[in-house]
Amino acid sequence: MSQINYRTINIDQLDPESSVNFPMETLLPATLPQPETSSDAANVASQVRQLLRGGDAEGALRHALDTAPLGGDDRAKEVHLATVIEVLQGIRQGEMTRVLEGVCGSDGGAERADCLMKYIYKGMSSFGPSNGARSPAKSVSPQSTGGFSQIQGRNLGEGGGGQQMSVLLNWHEKLVELTGTGSIVRVMTDRRTV
Amino acid sequence: MSQSLRPYLQAVRSSLTAALALSNFASQTSERHNVPEIEAASSPELLLNPLTISRNDTERVLIEPSVNSVRISLKVKQADEIEHILVHKFTRFLTQRAESFFILRRKPIEGYDISFLVTNYHTEALLKHKLVDFILQFMEEVDKEISEMKLFLNARARFVAESFLTPFD
Repeated sequence: MSQINYRTINIDQLDPESSVNFPMETLLPATLPQPETSSDAANVASQVRQLLRGGDAEGALRHALDTAPLGGDDRAKEVHLATVIEVLQGIRQGEMTRVLEGVCGSDGGAERADCLMKYIYKGMSSFGPSNGARSPAKSVSPQSTGGFSQIQGRNLGEGGGGQQMSVLLNWHEKLVELTGTGSIVRVMTDRRTV
Repeated sequence: MSQSLRPYLQAVRSSLTAALALSNFASQTSERHNVPEIEAASSPELLLNPLTISRNDTERVLIEPSVNSVRISLKVKQADEIEHILVHKFTRFLTQRAESFFILRRKPIEGYDISFLVTNYHTEALLKHKLVDFILQFMEEVDKEISEMKLFLNARARFVAESFLTPFD
């Protein structure tokens, strides 16, 4: 005990009444769908891929958004994120507005629009931090190259990921045109993450 | 404006407009205190889901909303070592003068170059759409500024090298 500096202990964490220990589970609605595993998500992915191959892009997107694993584990969510991004990349820019109006216009469309917005933000954030380790900020040190050489990879700026990001940004723009900022607010406040 | 820059800025604009809906909220842990909850992180239910908007792996914006404050962090494009140094110097210059900048955070958060902290007092005193405009204008200007500085730096280095090597000609 003498090893621990008791002044640095956050005593609020030991108090069950403290606001630090707010029970976050109470914020989730009771109607959360059944927990899914990654194999369920993989099944959905193959169904969606089949729809996409059949040329039914709208149906594929609708199915992918309806089966979002809101109660699933992280692995299932990752698999489903890959599915949704694949669908989004598979739809041409000219068709985006038509598909979006079809998916978000019908019954339960607002739910789907919010879900799509969650996936757009998740797609953009999942890429950034995972590859953050090899960003120039970490790798650059004056010693590493023995001086200032400009003879190095110049494509760091426009390299990998730029393509996927621009697809997601285009979808984001179209979706905001359709639903307004309300769906962004719901992404921020909804505790049912995708 | 290049083709991919416009949707990026548009996405940042709409996300910021959505995130800057703040209200006064007194601290729950200590009486008669009022602190930005995103910094204090003393109650998890007051922090909302963070949003990331990225253009590619070197340019992104992180928006961390909470009930009474929003933290906005920028990662500026750095294509090579010179730009990395220029961005570092530039952001350091700004953050050292943070108190006259109101919304600038003194220290950027991990992995980003510069951070802003907007609290409910700022949104009460300043116009919200002007705040959004300011951050977007900052993002545009900083890219321009860095590439301009890089050009000047190269021109100057060339001139210095030439005049240094003239006696050996």
